[in-house]
Amino acid sequence: MRQAGAYSGILSGGGISGRTGPHLLPLARIKKIMKKSSVDVKMISGEAPLVFSKACELFIEELTKRSWKLTVEGKRRTLHKDDVVSAVATTDVFDFLIGLVDLNENHRAP
Amino acid sequence: MESMDIVGKAKEDASLPKATMTKIIKEMLPPDVRVARDTQDLLIECCVEFINLISSESNEVCSREDKRTIAPEHVLKALEVLGFGDYIEDVYAAYEQHKVETADTVKGGKCTIGAEMTEEEALAEQQRMFAEARARMNGVAAATATAPKPPDAEPNMNC
Repeated sequence: MRQAGAYSGILSGGGISGRTGPHLLPLARIKKIMKKSSVDVKMISGEAPLVFSKACELFIEELTKRSWKLTVEGKRRTLHKDDVVSAVATTDVFDFLIGLVDLNENHRAP
Repeated sequence: MESMDIVGKAKEDASLPKATMTKIIKEMLPPDVRVARDTQDLLIECCVEFINLISSESNEVCSREDKRTIAPEHVLKALEVLGFGDYIEDVYAAYEQHKVETADTVKGGKCTIGAEMTEEEALAEQQRMFAEARARMNGVAAATATAPKPPDAEPNMNC
């Protein structure tokens, strides 16, 4: 299932399991999100969404794995929202997500 | 009759496809692990927020350099500035890999200047041709006696 192919050769160093295909996320969608991110977004080169696609994968990987660690610590096999929230809270670079996860939390009034 | 809210909600208009995201997330975890539904949604939202963050920063990096188009370099710089420097190596590697792959297809296409030129050689060749054209314009034809070249030197100039 996870065979190191021509594309994933370069990825083998960073602990990312061999995936066929350099990018899975739709570039057009990424470009759309980019355009909405600011009021005066400049033109976007054709290659920029590609770079984003990879960065997103790495981001998701980090967030997922950090959350997963907490799931394991809680002796569970299902990743829960709280795990993600905790991962965000305990990771500096994820500070920008604090507002987002907090918003989600508030929907569940105790 | 209820009026349908056809106008797309601003934030959810552009999100990432759930199926693709779920696949990516699951690939990173052991096969028997489950991810709660709302957690998947949250991860997707986080990813979109990540794109927003890096986009804004890339936009600023681009402005600071007085450029009009956000290029990969700006994105890489933004990643570094925002603390995601660790990603840069992998991201850049993937980007380079993609360039190699697409370059192969371009070379096999119509736009070939020479038989097997590297990019540098092609660039040098281009510079040479520009210089020649300039020289011709300036009427320095006699001066180029050392390297006489016919006006239509390259047959495959059909870019």
